[in-house]
Amino acid sequence: MRFLAALLMGMMVLGQMASAQDGPLRIEITDGVVEPLPYAVPHFVAEGGAAGGFAKQLAEVVASDLSGTGLFREIPEKAHIAKITSFSAPVQFADWKAINAQALVTGAVSVSGSNLEVKFRVYDVFAGQELGNGLRFKGTVDGWRRMAHKVADAVYSRITGEGGYFDSRVVFVSETGPKDDRKKRLAIMDYDGANLQYLTDSSAIVLAPRFSPTGDKVLYTSYETGFPQVYILDVGSVQRRVLNSEAGTMSFAPRFAPDGRSLLLSITREGNTDIYRMSLAGGAPQRLTASPAIDTAPSFSPDGSQIVFESDRSGTQQLYVMPAGGGEPKRISFGQGRYGTPVWSPRGDLIAFTKQNKGRFHIGVMRTDGSEERLLTASFLDEGPTWAPNGRVIMFTRETQGASGSAALYSVDVSGRNLRKVKINGGGSDPAWSPLQD
Amino acid sequence: MHIGQYISGAAHIGLIGWALLGPVFQGKPEPVQTVGVAVISEAEFAALTEPERAPAPEMDVVVPVAPDLAPSQPFVGTEADTAPDQRPPESAEAAEAESVPDLSGAEVPEPAELIDEVPDLTPPSEEIAALQPREAEPETVQPAPRVAPEPVEAPEPDVKIDDTVREAVTPEDSSEAAPEEPQEATAPEAASTEIATEAKVGAPSTSVRPKLRPAAPAEPKPSAEDSIAAALAEAGAQEQAETPAAPSGPPLTRGEKDALRVSVQNCWVVDVGSRAANVTVTVGMKMTREGKVDGAISLLASEGGDDEATKVAFEAARRAVLRCQKGGYKLPIDKYEHWREIEITFNPEKMRLK
Repeated sequence: MRFLAALLMGMMVLGQMASAQDGPLRIEITDGVVEPLPYAVPHFVAEGGAAGGFAKQLAEVVASDLSGTGLFREIPEKAHIAKITSFSAPVQFADWKAINAQALVTGAVSVSGSNLEVKFRVYDVFAGQELGNGLRFKGTVDGWRRMAHKVADAVYSRITGEGGYFDSRVVFVSETGPKDDRKKRLAIMDYDGANLQYLTDSSAIVLAPRFSPTGDKVLYTSYETGFPQVYILDVGSVQRRVLNSEAGTMSFAPRFAPDGRSLLLSITREGNTDIYRMSLAGGAPQRLTASPAIDTAPSFSPDGSQIVFESDRSGTQQLYVMPAGGGEPKRISFGQGRYGTPVWSPRGDLIAFTKQNKGRFHIGVMRTDGSEERLLTASFLDEGPTWAPNGRVIMFTRETQGASGSAALYSVDVSGRNLRKVKINGGGSDPAWSPLQD
Repeated sequence: MHIGQYISGAAHIGLIGWALLGPVFQGKPEPVQTVGVAVISEAEFAALTEPERAPAPEMDVVVPVAPDLAPSQPFVGTEADTAPDQRPPESAEAAEAESVPDLSGAEVPEPAELIDEVPDLTPPSEEIAALQPREAEPETVQPAPRVAPEPVEAPEPDVKIDDTVREAVTPEDSSEAAPEEPQEATAPEAASTEIATEAKVGAPSTSVRPKLRPAAPAEPKPSAEDSIAAALAEAGAQEQAETPAAPSGPPLTRGEKDALRVSVQNCWVVDVGSRAANVTVTVGMKMTREGKVDGAISLLASEGGDDEATKVAFEAARRAVLRCQKGGYKLPIDKYEHWREIEITFNPEKMRLK
């Protein structure tokens, strides 16, 4: 008893001595807030009369890009105290602090003939300093939206430290008409739905388009011959050719390898579906799986060393990972329900998938070893995820129920926030995000 | 700058040693000297029963068995008037607990034990620092004499042990109290200054600071004479400015720290889906007396991400501090030396996606 009392007293003394403040005051903060960061993008300064129209449009597209992420909140121009009249004039940070703008984007635009030049700066208002150095883009007047997207990408990158995804495109299956007579054709558009173009007509059913790593080619599946066949299409010339014309087989679910010189696809021979790898230069496909089950929807890891795919070899549809050259697959999905259409994140840290459980469909993500599964969406039918080039946003297909139901494209942040419907004309499905454009 | 704390620690350690070797803690349980009391009562009881038997034989009744069976019966049946004072001790045998009012009422050792324990435990619960314990110690010295009933064991024979005990203990307490008091009184030069300030809110520490700050800017003037001398003077001035800035008053309470923490975290915007959400950063800053950041905020340490993610995490932390300071963080000006420099660790672990 005496010993315990003395020990207690000793611990008390040592605790007091340790708690005595030594040096600066130290505190730890573990709880922050999750909210959009307020920013301001005043209309760009028009340097020359011809640039007047672009000055406002550029700022609006930049603001639309940033606010569309859900990570930023634009402070409307009406609330601005200061006016940016000169790109080189010093910024009055106090005026922007007063409206709680944490970031400020200023820009200027000039037009010379058919050429457009845009320059911009990003400021950390409360730090009273510029984030990075000013940048200048040159292009054509027709490409002003792309220039705005590039400005937005740079701003996004400087604030978040991650690459942007605004100067990117999406290829998808455009759907029009009633559900029992739906017309499907390949279409391509900017990530935000602008500049929509069709790549094929609606004479044949097309499925699952996939961009090449350089964004200039598209793989897709077409029922043009009555059976599913994989085609490759040049986006610029819209020229296409079939890749696997082996008689008596069906090929589908193609996806490029990271090097762009080969692809993965599923081939059905004699009723058995396995995963193959084939070179774009030609040659016989190399079989990577050999099971009596249906192995399909392969996707490379960013480094090209592994492949994730779906298989029902265990009796239910699950996700598996195997070496790029084939080999024993390792199952990574163990939750209830069925898993399919896995896609490896460009960051390499996550795998997005479609999950069906208890009559509901979900878009989810998990670690590459199957851990930390998180479901991001839930609806009557969500499927076919595709990653934004920065691995931060997932686009997918959502189809509504009933005879009048339609398919549409949605995007969601990897955190599960900021679910948005992509604005397109008509319906759409099977989206595939391109890499950032050069 | 921690001399006072070290002295405090040494004093505590000394107290611990004294507690181990001394009878301080033994006195608590042993005051149950009810053992001694019981012995005494039995002896007296035996003596008392005999005189009562004396009258029994007068009865001439052959009842020798009665004293063997139970002493209480003879009392009840026999002369209640003769020994009213003696009966209580008999009932005490049946239940010694009842005898407590007799002895405890005189000795009063039990309340003294409780008082000793309380002052030892209260200081840590407040976590106000090692300063208050010092004040508590002299208080514990005072209750110590009350715990003194232990030495009573030597003079067991007497029931008035209380008096003797106090005498034996008071010299011990006085001997301890004496060295402590003279330390405070005679050593105000080195240690007692801190002790005094800690105990009295540390008002003098604030008066020293203004002298040091103006000293630093005043020295750049001689730079015209000699650049080297100016540099040395500046360095010396900075050192002086830092060394006297050592906090000497009571530190910030938990509530004051929490207030600062809440103020900053309300402006800490975390992008939970970003790689920066995996980075823990520690930033440092100097503060003005108005509670505003003085100068730049620096990144002191980081963990969990690459350079780019660390940079973003740092910028978010910096924005949080700068954005929420507004007119200045509400911090106690009398404790300025304790928050003149602040280090804040931003740890988003709890907010990460899982």
